[in-house]
Amino acid sequence: MDEDNKVTKKQVIETEVPLGTVHSAAIEPYRVRLFVEDEIVKDAEITVGVNHRGVERIMEGLPVEKANSLTEKICGICSNSHIWNSVLVAEKALGIEVPERALYIRIIMEELERLHSHMLYLAHGSEVLGHETFAMRIFYIRETVMELLRMIGGNRVQYGVPIIGGIRPRAELDLMRIQKIKDGMDFVEEKITEFAERFVSDPMVMSRITGVGILKKEDAIRLSATGPTLRATGVDIDLRRDMPEYESFEFNVITQDDGDVKANILVRVLEIPESIKIIRQAIDHLPEGKITNRSWDMEDSPVTNNYIEVPRGKLYHSYSLDDGRVRNVIIRTPSITNIGAMEYACIGYHITDAQLAIVQCDPCFTCTDRAIKIIQI
Amino acid sequence: MSLKSYSRARSVHVMLVYTGGCNGCDIEIVNCIFSPKYDAEQYKIFLTWNPREADVLVVTGPVTKHNEQPLREIYKAIPEPKAVIAAGACALMGGVYKNINGDIPSEEIMGPVDKIIPVDAKVPGCAVRPEDVLAGAVAALPKLLNAK
Repeated sequence: MDEDNKVTKKQVIETEVPLGTVHSAAIEPYRVRLFVEDEIVKDAEITVGVNHRGVERIMEGLPVEKANSLTEKICGICSNSHIWNSVLVAEKALGIEVPERALYIRIIMEELERLHSHMLYLAHGSEVLGHETFAMRIFYIRETVMELLRMIGGNRVQYGVPIIGGIRPRAELDLMRIQKIKDGMDFVEEKITEFAERFVSDPMVMSRITGVGILKKEDAIRLSATGPTLRATGVDIDLRRDMPEYESFEFNVITQDDGDVKANILVRVLEIPESIKIIRQAIDHLPEGKITNRSWDMEDSPVTNNYIEVPRGKLYHSYSLDDGRVRNVIIRTPSITNIGAMEYACIGYHITDAQLAIVQCDPCFTCTDRAIKIIQI
Repeated sequence: MSLKSYSRARSVHVMLVYTGGCNGCDIEIVNCIFSPKYDAEQYKIFLTWNPREADVLVVTGPVTKHNEQPLREIYKAIPEPKAVIAAGACALMGGVYKNINGDIPSEEIMGPVDKIIPVDAKVPGCAVRPEDVLAGAVAALPKLLNAK
């Protein structure tokens, strides 16, 4: 032990508080080790790997359509993001043009998913704060979005809307559906504004979340945080601005400066009206025409990759195509790059704030368990 | 109805255990309890995270290798009488991850749940719908109420 200390010059902290893998504060199974001194967290370590199911391995050698629908099962919160990105990789590899109408409907799905994901974050955050009433109110608003998703895709969680070359015929929008989406957006906007006003004017909640779990801008960049977690520290970055799919839409990128729990919550609250704005633009300018491009041929292709911005940050998919089958799949989800930020945000705060500091980064550990650790023998 | 079953029917505590699915079922079950639209608390079904005060164990997910032992221990920690609900396609038959009849069967999945602990009610669906979860909870109730 002494020899190790000389090398790393690290202080040995005796008291360790393990949480997990099944713990009351964490819905998902993961393990957090908090090293505390006088109830102040000095170091934290998050261990994942409990959820590992090996989706990439199952995908290996499957026909590309089958593999695409399997990527949806990686995560139940951002399932549309996974299937969309996986389909985009195939379209990029085969050079397929997607009809405008399909592209707009894909964007409507993605933004609806962002709405429900951010609302789930707010509900989960309120529950961790101990404010169950806020959680119930948010679930009430979220139910509208879930019903819209069920109307378009046919399922409340995994909708499976994008297919190679366009979208599934089930997800075509007609006048009745468009009207329902419009009504739903009006309702969500009204209710979420009320909620935000109620939330920021509650002195109890604000004093609990202000100045807790601060992540500095430099640290966030160094730890390669991504998505709203990075935007909450003041970095003005959003991949949607650079994606060709979002070229014809106008929206603002929300940033906050503090990097604490308050900033993280505000970024997500303020992103909800921006998503509603994008959905309204897409509905108003929905082009006429067909929804699927069927004139393409399967070819072999080398490893192709694609990045998109999903509710939690940047998502990466890559695979190669060999005789219509998928090979060499690599998937990197935003939560795995946010783990460093989660560990770092706990340090220096009271042990009761640790769970809040982890939850502020919107972890999704079922997405995270992708990689297989290779041990050298 | 005895006094015991009368009072048991008025405080059913449900514990949710997540064994490595995709989060979809878990959110639907939490949704089913918290969301004012379904609001299982009006039927006196409460969500708890403590196995020692739970009556019903809801298991989601295909049970990965690392989750097998914790699941057994949680099941042991729940006092009698207890009931187990397996929710979702993964908990019932391993879902897509088990890769039944597939090229490469996954070695990570130890499930389905009824191989590991006895299951009293099964809720189908991928992901489960909140209405079905409520129906499953109701189907598991007689076991609790009729116990001595």
